[in-house]
Amino acid sequence: MSHSDYVAADAAWVSPEIFSDSVLYDLEQQRIFGRSWLLLGHVSQLPVPGAFLRTNMGEESVLVTRDRDGEIHAHLNACRHRGFQLCQQDRGVAHSFQCRYHGWVYASHGALLGVPGQATLYYNELDKPRWGLVPVARVDTYKGLIFGNFDPDAPPLSDFLGDMAWYLDIILDRRLGGTELLGPQRWRIAANWKIVAENHCGDEYHVGFAHGSNFPDLPGSMRAAPLPYAREIRPMLGHGVGVNIFPDEMTPEQLLATAGFPRPRHVTDYLLRVQDEIAERLGRQRSHMSIIHGAVWPNFGMVPIVNSLRVIHPKGVGEVEMWAYCLLDRDAPADVKQWLANQTTATFGPAGSFEQDDAGNWSAVTQSSRGAQGRRHPLNLQMGIGHEERSDKFPGELGLTASEINQRGFYL
Amino acid sequence: MNDRSLSRIIAVQQWYYHEARLLDSRRFDLWLQLMDQRVHYRMPSRAYLQQGDAADFSTWSVEREIDVAGSLPLIDDDLDGLRQRVGRLQTGMAWAETPPSITRRLVTNVEILDEDPQGRLSVTSAILLSKVRSGERVIFTAERRDQLIPSDNGFRLLDRYVILDDVVLASGNLSVLF
Ligand code: FES
Ligand SMILES: [Fe+2]
Repeated sequence: MSHSDYVAADAAWVSPEIFSDSVLYDLEQQRIFGRSWLLLGHVSQLPVPGAFLRTNMGEESVLVTRDRDGEIHAHLNACRHRGFQLCQQDRGVAHSFQCRYHGWVYASHGALLGVPGQATLYYNELDKPRWGLVPVARVDTYKGLIFGNFDPDAPPLSDFLGDMAWYLDIILDRRLGGTELLGPQRWRIAANWKIVAENHCGDEYHVGFAHGSNFPDLPGSMRAAPLPYAREIRPMLGHGVGVNIFPDEMTPEQLLATAGFPRPRHVTDYLLRVQDEIAERLGRQRSHMSIIHGAVWPNFGMVPIVNSLRVIHPKGVGEVEMWAYCLLDRDAPADVKQWLANQTTATFGPAGSFEQDDAGNWSAVTQSSRGAQGRRHPLNLQMGIGHEERSDKFPGELGLTASEINQRGFYL
Repeated sequence: MNDRSLSRIIAVQQWYYHEARLLDSRRFDLWLQLMDQRVHYRMPSRAYLQQGDAADFSTWSVEREIDVAGSLPLIDDDLDGLRQRVGRLQTGMAWAETPPSITRRLVTNVEILDEDPQGRLSVTSAILLSKVRSGERVIFTAERRDQLIPSDNGFRLLDRYVILDDVVLASGNLSVLF
C-alpha cells in the first residue's frame, strides 16, 4: 500500500477507495490525527480558571481545561486506573475530576491527586506522579483558537499553519478585542471525513448546483461561471481557502454589498464602523479581502462568509460527527452578534439552507466508494491543473473559482 | 375535567392532528397559514451537562441542558425565516427533499399548561416524527412547547419551542419541520 496507489502524482485523480478502505483509515488515525495540530476550541470557551470542555482528536476523547493559574491543558479523557472516560459532560467548571468507576481524583492540570484506599488497599505504594492523565503532547493557541498535537516532535503550530495564518488573520485578527465562539451544533453524517474536509478546503464548484435552491433565479449557464473577485488559494501544507479579492478602489460600502448576503442596517453599520480598525490591523490588501470557505489540514473546515467554523470529527471510516460553531468579533454589539449567529444557523446549521443539501452528497460519495466495481475506477480532480498561478501579493498558489487546486493540495 | 376544558383539549388535539396531516402531506403552504404574523419558531441545541449541584436534588433540572449560554440553536426562525425555509423546498433544487422524505408525525401527551385572559394557550406535547428517504428510516422524538392563539379555524401558532431528544443529531441533517 503506497500513496501512489490512491492518488495520482499530480493528484489529477484519486481512488474512491480513500473513502472506504478501513486499513487506510486506521493509518490515518495514527499518521494524520496522531501527528497534526487539531482544533480543540477557543479560549472564549474557557473563560475562567477551572473551565473545561470535552472534545475529540481523531477518535480519542480529549479533556481541555484551564487550571487555577489560567493555563490551558489537554489530556486524554481516560482514567489511568481502568480507562473509564473520566469526564462525562460537554463543558463546565471544575478544579478536579473524580472517576465514577473507582473514584480516582485528578486535578484540572492532569495530576493524580488521590485514590480511595491509598493507605489501606494500596499500602501507600501507588506512585501517584506516574499515574496522572496522559497529556496531549503539545497544546498551543493561535489568536484565540486552541490546538493540540499528540506528537511531541511535531513542528510548532506556526510552522504547521505556515502561510495559512496570513489568511486566518482575516477572520481572527480583525479587532483588538479578538473573537469568541458560539456552539457547537453537532450532527452525524454517514460519510468519510475526507470528502467532507476536501469540500470545505476547495470545492466552490458544487455551490451553484448542490446549493442551487439558494439561487433559484440564477440561469443555468451562470451556475459554474468563474466568479469575478473570487480565487481559490492553496497556501500549501494541505490547507486551502477560497477568497474574495476586491479592487483597491472599491469603497467599504461597495465591498460589503458585494461580499456575503443581504444584511439589516444595524449589522452593515457595525461592519462599516470597524473597517478602519481592520485596515489598520491587517493592512490595505487584507482589508480588501474576505474568506468564503477554507480548511486547515486535516479536519478544521470553515465558511467564514457566514462566520461558520467546523471540526469534522472522524467516527470510523464511513462516519463523521460535525461540530459547527459561529465565530464573532467579541466586542460586537449584542444585537449584531444575535443577527450574525442567526445567519450562521439559517445557512450552515444542520437545518440550514445550504448545509441541509451537503450531507446527502457526502454520504452518496462514500456509498459509491464501497462497491467492488466502482471503487476500482478513479475519480477526477483535474479542474484547473497546470493553470495555477503565483502572485507577489498573496502567499501560495492561485486558481480560478472554481478550481480543484485546493483539493489536489489536500491529497498531495 | 369539566365540559369546557374537555372540549378545549379536544380542539387543541384536533388542531395538532390537522397540522401534522398538512406537514405529512407536504402542504407546507397551507401549514404556513397556521402561523401568526409574530411567530417565533426555535429549536435549541442540547448538551450533556451536570444537572446543577450533584448533591442537591432540588437543583436538578432538564432545563439546564437546553439553550445553554454560548450555544447555538438548530433553528431560530420568524415568519420570514419559515417562509424562506418552505420556499426553498419548493425550488425543485432543495436536494435533501427532492425527492421528498416520506414522513409521519404522531402527536401525543398533549397538555394545556396555562390559559391567559385573552384565551392564549400554553401547550406542551410530544411528537414522534418518522422520516423515510433513500431506503433509510430516521426517528425523531421531541417535546414541543407552543403558544396558541384562538382563531376562526382553530388556532394560530404564536410560539414554538422544539426540544429534540438528540444531543448529537443522529441524522445527517434536519430537513423536516416539527
Ligand atoms: S477506572 Fe477510574 S478509578 Fe477505576
Ligand atoms: Fe456545500
